[in-house]
Amino acid sequence: MESVGDHVPNGLTGVKSNLEIVRERFKEDEIILYLFEAYQIKGPEDANRLLALVSSESGGTFAIISFSFVRTPLTSVNELIVNKVFAIDESFQLQQDCKGSITAYQFDLSTAEDGPIKYYFYPSESASYEEFVAKIISCKSSMARSDPETVLNFRWLNDYRQIGEVKQELKKRESEYIVYKDIIIYCATWNVNNKPCCDSPDGLRSWLGCSERAPDIYAIGLQELDTPAKAMLNSTQVQASVAQWNEKMVQSVHPDVEYEILQYHRLVGIMLTVIVRKQLRQHILRCRFKSVARGVLNTLGNKGGVAISLQLNEGHICFVNSHLAAHMGYVEERNQDYNAIVDGLRFDDGRTISDHDHIFWLGDLNYRIQEPPGQQRPGPLTDAQTYELLLQYDQLRQEMRKGKCFEGYTEGEIKFRPTYKYDPGTDNYDSSEKQRAPAYCDRVLWKGTRIEQLAYNSIMDIRQSDHKPVYAVFRVKIKTRDEVKYKRVQEEVLKAVDKRENDNQPQISVEKTVIDFGRVRFNEPCMQDFNVYNSCPLPVDFSFKEKDIHDICEKWLQVDPRKDSLMIDSARSIRIKMVADVHTIRGLLKKIRTSDNFDILILHVENGRDIFITVTGDYQPSCFGLSMETMCRTDRPLSEYSQEQIKHLMNDDSQEYCVTMPREFFLLIDYLHKQGSKLEGGFHTFEPRKSVNAHFNVVRDWLDTWSDEEFPGTPQSAAQALLLLLDLPEQALLEPFVEDLLACNSKSKAMDYIALLSPPKRNVFMHLCMFLREGIECQYYELHQVAVTFGRILLRSSECKAWPDYKVRCSQFMRLFIESDGADSLANRNEGAGAGSKADLPAA
Amino acid sequence: MAVKMSKIRGIANKLHERIDCLIEKCPNMTAAPYNYNYIFKYIIIGDMGVGKSCLLHQFTEKKFMANCPHTIGVEFGTRIIEVDDKKIKLQIWDTAGQERFRAVTRSYYRGAAGALMVYDITRRSTYNHLSSWLTDTRNLTNPSTVIFLIGNKSDLESTREVTYEEAKEFADENGLMFLEASAMTGQNVEEAFLETARKIYQNIQEGRLDLNASESGVQHRPSQPTRTSLSSEAANVKDQCSC
Repeated sequence: MESVGDHVPNGLTGVKSNLEIVRERFKEDEIILYLFEAYQIKGPEDANRLLALVSSESGGTFAIISFSFVRTPLTSVNELIVNKVFAIDESFQLQQDCKGSITAYQFDLSTAEDGPIKYYFYPSESASYEEFVAKIISCKSSMARSDPETVLNFRWLNDYRQIGEVKQELKKRESEYIVYKDIIIYCATWNVNNKPCCDSPDGLRSWLGCSERAPDIYAIGLQELDTPAKAMLNSTQVQASVAQWNEKMVQSVHPDVEYEILQYHRLVGIMLTVIVRKQLRQHILRCRFKSVARGVLNTLGNKGGVAISLQLNEGHICFVNSHLAAHMGYVEERNQDYNAIVDGLRFDDGRTISDHDHIFWLGDLNYRIQEPPGQQRPGPLTDAQTYELLLQYDQLRQEMRKGKCFEGYTEGEIKFRPTYKYDPGTDNYDSSEKQRAPAYCDRVLWKGTRIEQLAYNSIMDIRQSDHKPVYAVFRVKIKTRDEVKYKRVQEEVLKAVDKRENDNQPQISVEKTVIDFGRVRFNEPCMQDFNVYNSCPLPVDFSFKEKDIHDICEKWLQVDPRKDSLMIDSARSIRIKMVADVHTIRGLLKKIRTSDNFDILILHVENGRDIFITVTGDYQPSCFGLSMETMCRTDRPLSEYSQEQIKHLMNDDSQEYCVTMPREFFLLIDYLHKQGSKLEGGFHTFEPRKSVNAHFNVVRDWLDTWSDEEFPGTPQSAAQALLLLLDLPEQALLEPFVEDLLACNSKSKAMDYIALLSPPKRNVFMHLCMFLREGIECQYYELHQVAVTFGRILLRSSECKAWPDYKVRCSQFMRLFIESDGADSLANRNEGAGAGSKADLPAA
Repeated sequence: MAVKMSKIRGIANKLHERIDCLIEKCPNMTAAPYNYNYIFKYIIIGDMGVGKSCLLHQFTEKKFMANCPHTIGVEFGTRIIEVDDKKIKLQIWDTAGQERFRAVTRSYYRGAAGALMVYDITRRSTYNHLSSWLTDTRNLTNPSTVIFLIGNKSDLESTREVTYEEAKEFADENGLMFLEASAMTGQNVEEAFLETARKIYQNIQEGRLDLNASESGVQHRPSQPTRTSLSSEAANVKDQCSC
């Protein structure tokens, strides 16, 4: 395996190593610490994985990214598909599993979100596995060493998670459409000393209108707005005051262009207002605010910071206005306030202050001038040298040098008098008893790229507060999309993504789309196998899709497997079994009547196309399952018919018949009649749909060939064949009058309906009854059992089945026709057997 | 002391919350992990050999597929398009036209937001069968499904058997959108797919298509941060396309 340091190329120059290719997948400040080749077991196969241990400089965190890929060595970065992302945080765990059943070379990775996911590695990789684990452990421990209070930043990982492909691609090609546009940002801060907003129309113009070019964005911070006590208690008064100040600010900004307030936010007496050019507003895509309260008990908010975060085009800008702890000696408290704001401030989208491209920090930071020994209070100083001297003792600069606060921030040169503390209404330093030393309390600092300060000054002629207002003007180059170029890149990306999606669609190919069973015979199962291959560079899941029959296939088919996974370059055999037996023949014949095939299966590829598999064959007609009418239309043995011919006969609804009753039926009755008492147990023991074994097929062939041979089976098998012959057709023998017949209570009434049956059915029924009655009279069969068995077959009905006395009625009906005394009425037996019934009997 | 402090902290927090509530103005624009705002499902139907697969291929790949094999099953293609600044992913199901698959392909109509019904202008029989395809479509899709009639192979003028006027009349009578197109030259192919999407989008905007209905054929994705300004959400709703 390759590690970053000792990478050896594959020997061929110009061929990129896996590491180089994987590196292309990451951003510049993300470093691959280790690349480890492992695999996962998916279905019956292995799936290769590349695990990249990556450190992000911007995030300051580590993660493992698991890629799936088609082949190694890789040829292009496009072959890598992010398969899983593990952030190495407190919850991250690497568990070595030695008890595994497949191999000892395995481990689990888990995080709070995902847990445990198993990876295997090849024994040849054991050495690099040790190295990989060692690197992970060192990453994890370096995480643990960092301040437990810090929240780890894993936002960089979002680019590798389920983020839209288009976004990722666009991000990668950013340089093709990003331009930098200059904007002017005007930052201003003033501690207003709880004084009300002044009334004069131009009151703040001298503070806010100091830039030559009209600024694009103003960030104006006020401190000690009203008194803290009032702020807590009287909200309407505070609102009025806030509105007054904001109104005044908007009035006082640069007069050349129109402005509006984008957002303001207040924490007790600390308020930050962001005012933007009206035209700019449509380019501001996001704006959020947040505050961190400090001050009394670190919660009351008389000190603290408020911040507003906004996105202008592609640039993220943050403004912070803070009022830090006061008094000369409280340097450490000021540092703490600063750190509390930096650590505690998190906008609703998760962004922290440091997650911005351009940060401007303004406010009454309250850092004082550590009075130099022997140095007099500065008088009306105006020359740069004196400022320089004073600033040597400035606590903020001292603390910054020590790295105690404002790390990474810059402040422009100060060429103005200390802004604190004045006797209100004058330019004189504090003349009260306290005689507070003057200080540069009010500051503007910045952090970030492409920022240039144009001005930094205080305003002496605004005198109502004990602080002088301060302002700073910046020119900032904001990342901006060139819309035309962006549109072009976006179109290209969309096209590429579409193409990749269509090209990477899982594909399988099938050996054949028509499965032909050839000759299919009743009660003889047969099988066909066919292969499916994975014909794409991805693992594929396939399944047979459920159809509107609520199954994947018709009842006479069985498919195995119904679903499976196919690894790359692999194939799978699928077996289809066709069973035309007593359970399925009814449906199959119905299908044959309307269709040329036995079924069409839908082979579905997960996230891909569907393939129709047509199942066909040549069903060899047999008497079983055919209606009496169809059989009466045959003029030769059924074995001499083709599927097509029998389909034709089944769809024939003419009244012309070749015989009055099916020969097959007649032959069975004739045989059973001759056997007489040899049918032991009569008909009552038969469950015709069960126990139809292969021996039965000789009976089938005897019937279907109109054989002249002796009956090849036993009386029992003849009885079974008879029951099946009557039971298997789609329609019960006495349909469509079953319901009417069940409601009849006299034989003569029933005969009215029987007369309406089609001639084949009527003849079969009458012939059957005559045969049964004789058998009962001769005591070959038992009346009750015969009535029950045949009643349920001849009067089979899914509708009437629900009647509570259905079974009783069925057998009562049968008794009307098979009882030897020929009783007619169930209530009063006063009529003999219908003479007409004998006359109807056909000559077969 | 400890009790007092927690009390004060509670009050302070509540006050801050209230202030936050009062001042919150900006719409919540969180990034969504999707490439698109909507998914529209299309089906392509019509007799065998009218060029359904070729139309799909021309639309997704901008290429003509000569010697296109018979579709035995249902092919699947996607493309992301833009309508009214919204990204729409078209999920197109190209069905087998063979008569024997007719029953099976019926199960694919469900949930289609758009149906492209194709005939071949050089074979009258494919045009004559349209009414049966239309019956299927009407029976198996929901009333708001947009049906677009395409007379394909418009490049084969010399062997034309169905005039534009005749088909146009059929389309108008049945309230179908209609174009003659050529999968070979690409003429009008893009238009047919895009016009259908615009019509579906318009139906959504005008409330004729219920996105919550399981069979609308449209899936909505939370919007991604596109180049919309703070106040343009309202503008977008007003802005109707003019198709």
